[in-house]
Amino acid sequence: MACKYVLVCQNADCQSRGSGELLEQLTDKLKADADLEVKPYMCFGGCQAGPNIVLYPQKVWYSGVKQADVDEIAAHAEGGAPVERLTHGVEQPLKDLIYQLLDAGLF
Amino acid sequence: MILFPEGQPTTLETFEEYRASGGYEAVRKNPSPAAILQEVTSSGLRGRGGAGFPVGKNWGIAAETGISPRYVVCNAGEDEPGSFKDRTLMEHRPHLVLEGIILAARAIQAEQAFLYINETYDDCFARMSTAIEEAVRAGYAGPIRLTTHRAPTVYVAGEDSASLEVLEGKPPLPRPKPPYPAAAGLFGKPTVVNNVETLANIAPIVRNGASWFRTYGTAESPGTMIFCLGEEMNHPGAYELPCGTSLRHLYEEIGGGLKNGKKLKAILPGGPSCAFLPADHLEVRLDPESLRQAGSSLGCGVMRFYSDTTCMVEETLQLAQFFARESCGQCPACRMETMMLSAMLERILQGKAGASLFDQFQNILDFNRGKGYCALINMPGPPVMSALRLFRGEFEHHLSQGTCPLG
Repeated sequence: MACKYVLVCQNADCQSRGSGELLEQLTDKLKADADLEVKPYMCFGGCQAGPNIVLYPQKVWYSGVKQADVDEIAAHAEGGAPVERLTHGVEQPLKDLIYQLLDAGLF
Repeated sequence: MILFPEGQPTTLETFEEYRASGGYEAVRKNPSPAAILQEVTSSGLRGRGGAGFPVGKNWGIAAETGISPRYVVCNAGEDEPGSFKDRTLMEHRPHLVLEGIILAARAIQAEQAFLYINETYDDCFARMSTAIEEAVRAGYAGPIRLTTHRAPTVYVAGEDSASLEVLEGKPPLPRPKPPYPAAAGLFGKPTVVNNVETLANIAPIVRNGASWFRTYGTAESPGTMIFCLGEEMNHPGAYELPCGTSLRHLYEEIGGGLKNGKKLKAILPGGPSCAFLPADHLEVRLDPESLRQAGSSLGCGVMRFYSDTTCMVEETLQLAQFFARESCGQCPACRMETMMLSAMLERILQGKAGASLFDQFQNILDFNRGKGYCALINMPGPPVMSALRLFRGEFEHHLSQGTCPLG
């Protein structure tokens, strides 16, 4: 299943590690897919592990993302396999908190 | 009263007027550092900047370190929205403030006292600089150096450790604690940081004694406090009242109620970081213990009264936005929390979220509790959670309809 949203954290720490460029590249790569939206997110609270990207509604959380990972993440967003090695950066309680907020419509 | 003879500011007191009414008697009596400390400790005076820490205890920690030099900082950053008590004191009674600073410096044997003043307070700089010249010329300062410094007008710059950063020439960022300033403050040396109002109480205490001071206020919170009333009231201004005075007295007798005969809906009794009280809580006493019992806090005495024409969703959003804006950004958890709360309230205001968002406020606060260097991370919780509890209907209407129930 393709995801609907690729949410890219744009708070200070993630930005300082290049999340602005990641947002641009993912937007560019996925612009042809009308069912997909790449969106900036205010903050996921995983600042030490950034840049953070969350795929929703799949609820897959990628941390420490680099430009070299963009192709694989884009492929996952379009229905490919998850990028397992990038999914262990933050603790489960934070993931749960953020997923609940996303479920409540905060994005 | 203790700070203003008539309970509110009247004239701009001169050096001569201050001396004629017993001013600098406490300094001229030349009490020993231990005697000053003893009197202030016995008085039970607590800090008036919002935290309410016992002043004698704070000074004692600094005095007992055995490390020198030691410093005193008079914190006149005053960035709390709606607060103007420090400015009022410095403008109207500069020598009362200054004598307190000199006595504090003597008590802990500090070599220098820094007057850290909100950079927009031009009149206070002028008043305090003149006062320093007059006191030094009269020999009241002794070997203590007295200097004025500009405090940036961002909220966290008034936090005690952030004031030390500024005085060291750095940006206004709170320090991790411990160590607390009294143990290791300015340039790593023991430093007493006290609010203007706190210091203004010192000379009267030393001159008249702790038992005299304790004739005002309550057993746990002796003395008076200056309360700031805003423009929504018939009689806005700064008023000194004994701790323990009823909120009704302040609201009705002193403040004259809300303008245009509006009906009271809610009270924010201690600045933006305290919990709202409903209108039927006017019998509460204005002292930290009574406010705590009522589920709120007294902060630094900024009182805001809301009429029944006020949208509490919008007011709460504004408070959340204030904290999001003023979070200095160095602690990720604070940045995330303040930003999230503000975004969540905005969505509710606009009716653009699911009802399960209500359950997430407490989760966000619990997740981030205590994860900041300073108290700011704990500040949005009380107003936001109390508003959600007291005015839930308004929030629910906004969320489901996207419009205000008040029209």
